Amino acid sequence: MLSCSEVSTRLSQYPKFEDTMLSLQYAPKMPKAMVMETKQVIAIARQFNDEVARPLALALDRKTHEDPDYLPWDLVEKANKRGFYSMWIPKIFGGKGYNLPSMSYFSEEVGSVCLGIMNVIGVHYLGVAGLLTSYNTPLIKRVLKEVIQGEKNGKPCLVALAITEPGAGTDVEEMDLIDKGKITCLAKRVKGGYIVNGRKIFISMGHVSTWTALYGYTDLKNASETTVGMMMKQGMKGFTLGSHENKMGQRVCPASELIFEDCFVPDEQVIVDAQMTRKYTKKPLKEINMRYMDYALSATRAGVGAFGVGAARGAFEHALKFANETELNGKLLINHQWAQCMLAEMYKNVMVGRLAYIEANYANSLRGAYKLLQLKPMYYYQKYMPQAYFDKVISPFLERESATWLLRKMAYDWHSLADDHCCSGWASLAKFTGTDIGVRNCQMALELMGQAGLRQDRGVEKILRDAKLVQIYEGTNQLNRLNLFKCLIAPAYPQAKVFEE
Amino acid sequence: MLTSFQPYLKPFDDLASSFAARELVKKIEEHDKYPFGPFFSEVLDKAYEVGFLGIVLSEEFGGIGQGIGALCVILDKICQADSSLGGIIFTNALSQEIMHSAGEKQVLKKIFTKAVSACEFLVAYPSFCNPGQMVKLPEAKQTGKDFLLTGTLDYLVLGGIASRALVPAKLGDKAGYSFFLVDLSKKGIEKSEPIFSLGLHSCPAVDVVFKSVKAQLIGEEGKGSIYFDEASKKMHVAAGAMNTGIMKGSFNEALAYSKERLQGGCEIINWSEVSMILSNMLVKANVADMCVTQACQAIDQNSKEWGKNCVAAALHIHELACDAVTDGIQVLGGNGYMKDYGQEKRYRDARQIQALLGTAPMKKIAMIREAAGLDDTCAQV
Repeated sequence: MLSCSEVSTRLSQYPKFEDTMLSLQYAPKMPKAMVMETKQVIAIARQFNDEVARPLALALDRKTHEDPDYLPWDLVEKANKRGFYSMWIPKIFGGKGYNLPSMSYFSEEVGSVCLGIMNVIGVHYLGVAGLLTSYNTPLIKRVLKEVIQGEKNGKPCLVALAITEPGAGTDVEEMDLIDKGKITCLAKRVKGGYIVNGRKIFISMGHVSTWTALYGYTDLKNASETTVGMMMKQGMKGFTLGSHENKMGQRVCPASELIFEDCFVPDEQVIVDAQMTRKYTKKPLKEINMRYMDYALSATRAGVGAFGVGAARGAFEHALKFANETELNGKLLINHQWAQCMLAEMYKNVMVGRLAYIEANYANSLRGAYKLLQLKPMYYYQKYMPQAYFDKVISPFLERESATWLLRKMAYDWHSLADDHCCSGWASLAKFTGTDIGVRNCQMALELMGQAGLRQDRGVEKILRDAKLVQIYEGTNQLNRLNLFKCLIAPAYPQAKVFEE
Repeated sequence: MLTSFQPYLKPFDDLASSFAARELVKKIEEHDKYPFGPFFSEVLDKAYEVGFLGIVLSEEFGGIGQGIGALCVILDKICQADSSLGGIIFTNALSQEIMHSAGEKQVLKKIFTKAVSACEFLVAYPSFCNPGQMVKLPEAKQTGKDFLLTGTLDYLVLGGIASRALVPAKLGDKAGYSFFLVDLSKKGIEKSEPIFSLGLHSCPAVDVVFKSVKAQLIGEEGKGSIYFDEASKKMHVAAGAMNTGIMKGSFNEALAYSKERLQGGCEIINWSEVSMILSNMLVKANVADMCVTQACQAIDQNSKEWGKNCVAAALHIHELACDAVTDGIQVLGGNGYMKDYGQEKRYRDARQIQALLGTAPMKKIAMIREAAGLDDTCAQV
């Protein structure tokens, strides 16, 4: 038998146990109530699919072809009425506080019926993630309070995230590239705030969101150290909406152009900038900005992986139904051995994709953005304390600068680079695994269904169109492969350099 | 590549190139809006005028009497720009080839020499299926010298715009199926709205219901599968040429974009992963081009087993194309997903073309059973 120190030494060898066997490590730490809660979330998603998503998916897709200017206000109202825009907002900010990993399961369920409808719900949480992971608690509280109120008074208040620019997509998601990128969104420091000029494109739900978390830069040649995060509200002087894109799929979810012309942003709406960052850390600004980006993306990319799995599952379910109803050469297709093997392969793809995003969520729960909320005492405290307690006792504390300081210190300054790499690398793995199998299963379903699969009214061709987008957003799958290399492989090989060709 | 081996095809190549540049390239997005926008009737009329709707049809029947090589060269070039027109050319050529296989010279002469417009020259056909594998076909009933068709036919390509249709149907209790020519203006025919499909939007299809519609038998009773097999073997290469054109179009757009789009301060073509994607696309397009060239030569030279080679070439090309067009979007990132660029349309069209003449798995099963000399009807489950 090996001694404890020998075991420890062996497990520290590459690939490290702590970076790879995440489910094994997290299982004993997981609050048991999370399982029941996640079951509830899946049931809620299935009910929504039966009552809303499935009856509307194809009709809405058709409608967006008939009327390219269509915006999904009706759908947003339905989702708002069901409380979907506050389900995963922590109770300390007035939300329902469902455990954050459960959103991936929800995404897979609704995504299996319609990725566009899922994005109408899900991309709100991309904006919320950009806001939450800043730990600017007074601003988080202010914005999310409007989201909660919007749910109560039936006037939806959504949050979008604006990073991509006309000349820069991949560049703005990677601090090693951004300084050489064609960046244009300038945030100029003025008394009492910033003045922003520039354009953002492909901003999901930009036209329909009340708030947008915007990233600008005070020095366009040194963006990695001068990033400024700001919350922009529709109606602000100098903030206008441009067109929304004519996309191949996910058409029910608009991709908007946002235009900023001499738009003044008061300090109260600044999420994060160099000045704030300097208050709690002496680490290089570029490193902190990358961690901030990674912190949010580690959660959301796992979610996009679940979107891809949803597409894969939708394609599989359509193919299975078709095979079960269709005769070929006198036998049901489902009884042809080659079809059984195709269906088995598609089923396997779904399972592998799901395992990948679950593992990425475990990484976040053990070592990333979910860690604090999913520590057993914290989880149960949040789950079972009445909302009034959070509103009256905890909420005032969030107004203090010390709350922001403490949370940022914990999240970024005390957070190890190894933890960051583990979460970010696994999120990328989940993202490109899930989204690649999404397109793959659609291709297989089309091959199996032949002529029937080509018709929009059969559903599969729409899933194929929708699925392609998830290989692109939240970083192309190529960027995510490079990020996996950077985070999970390169650290063991110091001579390896990424983004330096 | 085909024009290198067969220089006499160069004029067809030039004609298709100039036609595509003149009539298609600048209006791809507009033409793709159908059925939610107008149909490109003017383009179809011009395609008819230059002879694209009768390339393989003998001159004595009003065509231009060229072989499969000319058809492939034209489809390749047209599909680099907009494969919807390619789908129309393909479907009409398939109808003509089936009737030709059935030996219906008089019918061919009657239809095509008298046609004075594109619509009159078009013969609709369900080109995305192998009729022999369809469970549900219309039924034909003989009454005296006439035949009456009853039943539904799904996904009749060009059914909404052509004057006539070539319809596979079951004839009484007889085994197999037969082909019938139907005048689509006759009473008793109900057509659906144009079907909203994945790709080839301007090569539209409709579902059709026949209610005791008078029809003319094409060839002999029950020999539909023989005519279809003979025609489709050749037409598989034409479908392959369509997807080869799509791959070339996708590669060209991706390459041009990669030389302009900046990332990390340099053109993305200088990032080796992008170069690798482009290289893989080029390999696929070149291999496809060689497959089409070789298959056309095998047909022209009447090589042994050219039919099997054609099916194999087409199956391979379609798989290559579906991968290549996916990468074609990826090189352009978010822009590739938008209708302002051509890549998203190619992503859809390539899959649509893959489904021409029936499902890929069934083509593979049929091919191996034929190679093994086994009866097609006895495949084990």
